[in-house]
Amino acid sequence: MVGILEFIVFVLISILTIGFSILVVTARDIVRAALSLVATLVSVAGVYVLLNAQFIGIVQILVYVGGIGVLILFAVMLTTQELKGDSDVE
Amino acid sequence: MMSIVEFLFNPWVRGILGLALIGIIFFSAVITVWLERKFGADIQSRIGPNRVGGRFGLLQLIADAIKLFTKEDLIPAKADKLLFVMAPIVILGSAFMMIVAIPFGAIVIGDNSYPIAATEFDISVLYLEAVSALSVLGIFMAAYGSNNKYSMLAAFRNIARMIGYEVPLGISIIGIAVMVQSLNIVEIAQAQSPLWFIFVQPIGFAVFFISILADMGRLPFDQNEAEEELVAGWGTEYTGMRWGLGLFAEYIHMILGSCLMVLLYFGGWNLPKFITDIYVIGMFAPIYWFIAKVVVVVMTIIMIRWALPRFRIDQVVDLGWKVLFPLSVLNLLWAVALGLFFGA
Repeated sequence: MVGILEFIVFVLISILTIGFSILVVTARDIVRAALSLVATLVSVAGVYVLLNAQFIGIVQILVYVGGIGVLILFAVMLTTQELKGDSDVE
Repeated sequence: MMSIVEFLFNPWVRGILGLALIGIIFFSAVITVWLERKFGADIQSRIGPNRVGGRFGLLQLIADAIKLFTKEDLIPAKADKLLFVMAPIVILGSAFMMIVAIPFGAIVIGDNSYPIAATEFDISVLYLEAVSALSVLGIFMAAYGSNNKYSMLAAFRNIARMIGYEVPLGISIIGIAVMVQSLNIVEIAQAQSPLWFIFVQPIGFAVFFISILADMGRLPFDQNEAEEELVAGWGTEYTGMRWGLGLFAEYIHMILGSCLMVLLYFGGWNLPKFITDIYVIGMFAPIYWFIAKVVVVVMTIIMIRWALPRFRIDQVVDLGWKVLFPLSVLNLLWAVALGLFFGA
């Protein structure tokens, strides 16, 4: 019973990881790509927790999401890009 | 006695306890909003809400909630709709994930204490650190999603501040972990049984207090939604309950930050043994003691909001990197020295 449950959770986490990592390279919007990368890293943390390595899982979130993810977003924001304009007319 | 222990360690009971805690925290966030308005009014010699629900405006927040729920739900035409919709969920989710690991007092029977927490694990302090940093992602998503320059500026400031203040916050927590030789928040709270850590590490407490104020975005550090400059910060384009969720997340963050402060520096729920030995009353006294301390901390934070002016963003970043970071390292040295001297 527990084995099956674990397997289901593992499959769900794997689908999330793979899906988000594909989004990282296919997203047209650089910010969406960066956010998908962050989501991928969170899902990988889920795999670690599932393997009973809670410490690595939490450090993964702390370092990769809290640190590197935020730094990547900060760097993306420093690149020049235009806001999409305010008017409602296309 | 055995049955109580088994009952408390049953995962289903823990799960239901966690859900109940989420409800309780949400409700106490409502109370805190009321307290902020009424107490803030008292500080500034105003009357505050007094029309709905009697002299003390007790029903004001229910009226506000009805207003928020019935407002039109606007999504800007040029917004990134997915990010726009997801952002309040991420912000609130980061606050809810913190609830899991925080023990809200404990039931003490004899020499054993059973913390009121959804889970207990060995590295809960690290977990709280990691999860509380997730809200910055939500704020960034909100800002980018709403495609508004004021929101964008707010997210910039928020990220700059977060990067600067997560470091001293983490190092001041490490100072405590070194002394207790554990990252388990229950053990840290119980280790302060005779002496609170605020007396052992006053510098660490000062750094932690300022950093957590910045972490929560409370007033001397609320540059990310400075009303006079940035309209409403990340929430400029949000209406109705979407904005309300972000507001609630802010207050939940504030309550949980106060709980963390009480657990790390103000001795948690520990009471002398002759009080906890009183039949039945003594069993639950640690919970009341814990809640009383949290209320005092929350009111202090509210007082600070209504008493101090806002810093400029460059002053805030300077303070974080040039003052708090060296001080936190100094405190870490002090903690290690104490640990070596007393053989901890």
